[in-house]
Amino acid sequence: MNPSQWAQIFAIVRLEIWKTFFSRRGLWIYLFALTPVLLFTANSIYAPREQARLARIAESHPRVLTNLTAITPGMSNSVVVEKLGEPYAKRSWHHRVEHGRAFEHARYQYTDGKSDFTFWFFNGQVRHIERSDPQTLPQNILIFATIFRFYFLRLAVLFGCVGIFTNLFRGEMLDKSLHFYLLTPVRREILLAGKFLAGLLATMVIFTASVALQWVALLWQFPHAAVAGYFAEPTAAHLLPYLGVTVLACAAYGSVFLCAGLLFRNPIVPAAVVLLWESANLFLPATLQKLGIIYYLQSLCPLAAAPDSSMPVPLTLLISATPAAPAPVALACLLFFTLAVLVYSGFRSRKLEINYSTD
Amino acid sequence: MSDTTNITLDNVSRFYGEVLGVNRVTLSIPPGITSLVGPNGSGKTTLMNLMTGLVRPTYGRISVLGIVPSEPQKLFRLVGYSTQFDSFPRGLTGFQFIQSFLRFFGCSSATSGELASKAIAQVGLTDAATRKIVAYSKGMRQRIKLAQAIAHDPKVLVLDEPLNGLDPLVRAETIALFRRWADEGRHVIVSSHVLHEVDLISDRVILLTGGYVVAEGQIHGVRTEIQEHPMQILIRCDRPGALAARVFEQEHVVAAQVLPDGGGLLVQTRDADRFYRQLNHLALDNIQIEAVAPADDNVNSVYQYLVGGEEASQ
Repeated sequence: MNPSQWAQIFAIVRLEIWKTFFSRRGLWIYLFALTPVLLFTANSIYAPREQARLARIAESHPRVLTNLTAITPGMSNSVVVEKLGEPYAKRSWHHRVEHGRAFEHARYQYTDGKSDFTFWFFNGQVRHIERSDPQTLPQNILIFATIFRFYFLRLAVLFGCVGIFTNLFRGEMLDKSLHFYLLTPVRREILLAGKFLAGLLATMVIFTASVALQWVALLWQFPHAAVAGYFAEPTAAHLLPYLGVTVLACAAYGSVFLCAGLLFRNPIVPAAVVLLWESANLFLPATLQKLGIIYYLQSLCPLAAAPDSSMPVPLTLLISATPAAPAPVALACLLFFTLAVLVYSGFRSRKLEINYSTD
Repeated sequence: MSDTTNITLDNVSRFYGEVLGVNRVTLSIPPGITSLVGPNGSGKTTLMNLMTGLVRPTYGRISVLGIVPSEPQKLFRLVGYSTQFDSFPRGLTGFQFIQSFLRFFGCSSATSGELASKAIAQVGLTDAATRKIVAYSKGMRQRIKLAQAIAHDPKVLVLDEPLNGLDPLVRAETIALFRRWADEGRHVIVSSHVLHEVDLISDRVILLTGGYVVAEGQIHGVRTEIQEHPMQILIRCDRPGALAARVFEQEHVVAAQVLPDGGGLLVQTRDADRFYRQLNHLALDNIQIEAVAPADDNVNSVYQYLVGGEEASQ
């Protein structure tokens, strides 16, 4: 490429980036990207307040952790009260069924100032115990890793790329403004490259900013020493790989949806197919999993988000545990795939025509 | 197809699925003002889009001064196209629109600004240059498109219905602008369905209907070739009755009709050239001839003869 072509790419990016960032049609993309930030922020506000509340309760109702953990299912409520004293919160209710028979339900809450215990009674006996411990940094980072894999990559980035990249060509066809570019002395491949870079820049800024903000929100509630301690561990998951995976996801999905916007009159259909394929990836046989972008993106994620213990057994059986691809292989596959799709799109862009009346 | 002075189309056809855009068009367009004339749907815009590579021919080859339209990087350094499409990139002022366009030609910010101002001044939009295009009237949008087409000083100007929405004063100025460009040796291709305007501005016309070129060339030449419709010649003279009697003796004269005001004669002839040659001889015997003019070699008449009155009136 010569300097004049770079100047043309720069001119395209400058025009496109403004439209992409401030398009009213793209507001929902910000919502998708910022939802986890809001969740982590809300949690970071809630968690310290909850800890303070439990500490205040523990001052007036002091309980020892060993006593609390000694309670087991089957114990009667009188035994529980005898061992632990009156709960700081108590609720009971009756459930009447046919033949006038009634069942008694009750919920007792205790705390040692750090952990919160909820004992669920059924007809006067402990049936279920819930324990809520103070949040830890590794726990929160695992939650982040799970959200990143199952929500952020699969939905937020994917849909964001649908919204931004398909509109680069198709949106302008619908607006009847694409001819502006086609009347300039710009090779179609250069136009495609400029538009792709504009889309990539926009999605990168939106989604990497979201990841960075999620980390800020996530770490905010923890003391500096705890954060420094965690990151001193050799196995600690760091922000940088997640930012890298986000950029690769934007590039790979972006190339697919740019191509879809170029080839299809209604790119929502191919977008739905890609979404379905990527969502089903977890349940596909190992060979087919490797045909999904998400497989390689997940292979590059620093933390594996294992299926949750509360996940229904039939669902866990359906999940195909395919070993992750080695990082260099995953990286090479993603880059090669993106490049291949862009080259194909460049080839197809030479045949691009203005035919607004049929759109 | 390596003609570097003309725009050539060689047996070009374009189909939109089963719908015909243009069919078997073969043309060679020299510099000057060439008008594409035809009713809506006749293929004018398709022909312009084909010349500029916005659509590709299904069959045939096109060359614009030796460059194929599939090479936009070369083509649009020579060609400026003012399209019929009335949409613009969002949020831009008239000046920004032209300046952004010029940036694709490798112009620096200062040069593109200078050229943009010059083009905007040429179309008389300087006062509105800093206003957003979305707030422009139809006529202003038409002019800013014209400014875009001329901003990079192209050799070929393709202008789709360029006079639409312009008020009479601006229309006259714009027509003068076309004339000036043509006199500078550029190709100015103009499409229109307003026939009297085409008559005023064109060096040659290409008449289209239903995707076919039905005639092309200088309007007088096209008219002469239409043998089945006798040419009408208006003669202003002092003794129209006597002249009518003499001209009617000629075998190529079909009709001779004295004008209602009694001050002239309308002659219909199958051989206009012969009639002109014979006129001096016929006008002997003290018949004073004040004026002789063809009455129907304007585009409107030609178009009516070629494609029927109904379409021509559109």
